[in-house]
Amino acid sequence: MHDFLFYGLAGLLVLSSLLVVILPNLLHGAISLIGSFFVTAALYILLQMEFVALAQIMVYIGGIVVFILIIILLTTRLGEESLAPGPGQKVWGLAISGALGGLIFYLVIDSIQPENVAMQADEEAGGLEQIGLRLLDTTSDGFIVPFEIVSVLLFISLVGAVVIARKDK
Amino acid sequence: MTLQNCLILTLFLFAIGVYGVLTRRHLIGILLSIEIILNAANINFIAFARFTTADPTAGAIFPVFVMAVSACEMAVALAIIISMYRHRKNLDVRELEALHG
Repeated sequence: MHDFLFYGLAGLLVLSSLLVVILPNLLHGAISLIGSFFVTAALYILLQMEFVALAQIMVYIGGIVVFILIIILLTTRLGEESLAPGPGQKVWGLAISGALGGLIFYLVIDSIQPENVAMQADEEAGGLEQIGLRLLDTTSDGFIVPFEIVSVLLFISLVGAVVIARKDK
Repeated sequence: MTLQNCLILTLFLFAIGVYGVLTRRHLIGILLSIEIILNAANINFIAFARFTTADPTAGAIFPVFVMAVSACEMAVALAIIISMYRHRKNLDVRELEALHG
């Protein structure tokens, strides 16, 4: 049952991601990206990481993709076909991405030991409480410093985005 | 469902994202493809956290940081896109060659 679900979700994920890349209309591509992120959240739930699935739905779908959709609607006409790739561009893109994928496949797949691949039974590990405690932990394996740095980074990028996007006087 | 299955899935997603970055000519299209690549990296983090014994909680925390940084990246990138559209009315990457030597 788990295997069947996983293969179904994986197929849907690859299909919707392919649609994001191939569809000529960018608006359709962004909507397909929403589908791809939903399937990813389902995959996280299948892997028992509920908090990351919720964060995926709220941050990516609720924030980033909606933001992208607004920008697409601001800068292109609705239903406008975007620029098609040039004739050589598709061939080169296919060749380079295939070569990179094949290289990583060759380098990575053999190095996974078979005894490591059983799923962990520890249900608590990815839970909300564990993640929250770990994020604010001040000992050496806690994540308090990156947590604070990310908050500063968010603030700086917000101010920077406003400065870049405002109208010149 | 094993670790190898997850790795092969993310490998496909990464290749799709690279193909998109190389073939899209619209700036926003390139951003969408980068999102696919980041998504593949997140799935990898979660898969390794779940299937290896080391430290699952740390593996679940990393995607949260990736999400925050990619939100920052999107905000700045879309601000740049808006200001570029205001100046040039055109987002074809072949015509944006102000930095071309």
